[in-house]
Amino acid sequence: MSKKDINNTDYSSRGLMWKLLRKHISKSQLIGFSLASLVGLTIVILAVQFHQDVKPLFKDEDSFLRKDYIIITREVSTASTVLQGSNEFSTSDIEDIEAQPWCRQVGKFSSNDYSVEAIISVSGQGMRTMMFFESLPDEFLDVTDKNWKFDPNNPKIPVIISRDYLTLYNFGFAPSQGLPQASELAVSKAVNLQFTLRGNGEIQTFEGTLVGFSSRLNTIVVPEDFMKWSNEKFGNSAERNPSRLIVEVNSPGDERIGKYFSEHGYQVAGDKMNQSKAQGFLNIIVSIVIIVGVIISVLAFFILMLSIYLLLQKNTKKLQDLLVLGYSPDQVSRTYINMVIYINCAVMVVSVILMLLMRAYYLPMLNAMDVKGGSIIIALIVAVIIMSLISLGNILAIKRKIKDLWIQSS
Amino acid sequence: MRGNRYFCKLLSPQLFPLVEQFHRRINNHLSINKMNTITLHNTLPAVFAGREDTGSEIWLRDVTFERGKKYLISAESGTGKSSLCSYIYGYRIDYSGTFAFDGRDIKQLSVAEWCKVRTHHIAYLAQEMRLFPELTAMENIMLKNSITNFKTHEEIVAMMERLGIVEKVDSPVAKLSIGQQQRVAIIRTLCQPCDFIMLDEPVSHLDETNNRIVAEMVTSEAMRQGAGIISTSVGNNVKINVDKEFKL
Repeated sequence: MSKKDINNTDYSSRGLMWKLLRKHISKSQLIGFSLASLVGLTIVILAVQFHQDVKPLFKDEDSFLRKDYIIITREVSTASTVLQGSNEFSTSDIEDIEAQPWCRQVGKFSSNDYSVEAIISVSGQGMRTMMFFESLPDEFLDVTDKNWKFDPNNPKIPVIISRDYLTLYNFGFAPSQGLPQASELAVSKAVNLQFTLRGNGEIQTFEGTLVGFSSRLNTIVVPEDFMKWSNEKFGNSAERNPSRLIVEVNSPGDERIGKYFSEHGYQVAGDKMNQSKAQGFLNIIVSIVIIVGVIISVLAFFILMLSIYLLLQKNTKKLQDLLVLGYSPDQVSRTYINMVIYINCAVMVVSVILMLLMRAYYLPMLNAMDVKGGSIIIALIVAVIIMSLISLGNILAIKRKIKDLWIQSS
Repeated sequence: MRGNRYFCKLLSPQLFPLVEQFHRRINNHLSINKMNTITLHNTLPAVFAGREDTGSEIWLRDVTFERGKKYLISAESGTGKSSLCSYIYGYRIDYSGTFAFDGRDIKQLSVAEWCKVRTHHIAYLAQEMRLFPELTAMENIMLKNSITNFKTHEEIVAMMERLGIVEKVDSPVAKLSIGQQQRVAIIRTLCQPCDFIMLDEPVSHLDETNNRIVAEMVTSEAMRQGAGIISTSVGNNVKINVDKEFKL
């Protein structure tokens, strides 16, 4: 061999140690660990990421799972039907609700004290029906529109209807009749409304405009100032207590709310309360998935541990010879520690990529529900923490095992 | 692509040794303290425990090996010759009594201090040689030299030439004869700075000629470094003129 050849060969201690110590490394065991670890970690970070992505559904102002507002009525009993009027909330009832720690504010629904007849027409075809109005303070509305006002000198009634009606039309009625689906804007423009108000010996016809759809309020809402004005003009002027209340609460998941309502015989409108349980349900599911992922990760960790122990066992003689040669336990451990770190980093990177791919698959579905994805930072941090813990456990085990080889038996 | 290449280079094992070598060079300069004596006080392998008089000039005696002097420990098989070496080299502790480097009990040495002893103070050739059969002759030698940076490639090749094994540079040690392996192990032993060279049956598998060459190499290396030599033998002594001979 010429001098040049010798100089070109890798005689670094690191290269030589790897050549020496890689023997007995079981590829199948490492692949087994990598796969198990990959599955475990991916499950965990995907669950974390999914939770992050879905969370806005519970926080977002306009979301269907919105639940910071609860609409309540009194339970309708036979007695109350006979006795009349007892379905209303008294001032003291309202004050009591307002005094509860979970309550932010209470809004009163007022309803019309006269008869309303509506003519609803779409492109010339009309329909006549009796109907009702309700109003409530503007701060409880989830629709804002510049036309949301009433001027007695230029009387035109703006109304907000429940989004449920549009949904019912779009997904129930239209497909069955072969009619096209309609957007909110198209409906607002196409529908002509005419209201005839009767009462107190007066009769007057008004034009109506549909200004929006509410997902919070399952009713037909008119501005509060119109309600006041019309009740004075067409109603019998007797002041009435509200029969429906809208309550803004701090934390809808609060058990005390449900308890308070049932104690006082109040009913929650629709299934808003059920929807409020959805987040709790989601949390439970995500927790279970995360626990499953963590268990798989822990098992994977033990596979690697076992593999490393076997490896160190098989290479005991070599490791001892290296120590006698003057290599420090740290230098000897480093070969295996580097291997573990490389594998764990690779698993982490692939796992994050897999998570992002799966996220790209479900994200469009969430976007269809008007939810933008959350940040991936937390999932990344979780991935780094889990892999760091696994690596740390492996490193400590390797160091301890190699330290045990320092003193040899005779 | 260019960036990628640099990244690969960064991860390549070649770069780390540069840093390591740098540290080692600094350490070498710092290790100016020499080890002057190895003393044995009333030492006895645990397996011999209970024996009153072993008839040995080493066991249960006070013995001092001094730097710069040459010693031969002649022994019969089974008298604890290899045990003695492993106690002095710190990888076995099944003995009673005290071994001390410059008066300091070696049981007090930290792991880091032992590594220093093994790379800077005592060069040791084990009887079983402790070569790595799957590595080539040169790789076995470089495994030591790369942590001490003591010999150049040229010096190592020159030593191999002298001992007639230069053509075995790239042969796996497993394919070498015992005699050839012994020569590789001897060269590896000399690839470090030292105050003592401890040889456990260094020439048991060598012919007269190679015995003489080994003796010359070891002696001149010891002279150059001012190191002491402690050699053991069960019969085939290395041809070194010793200052003192002990019967184990």
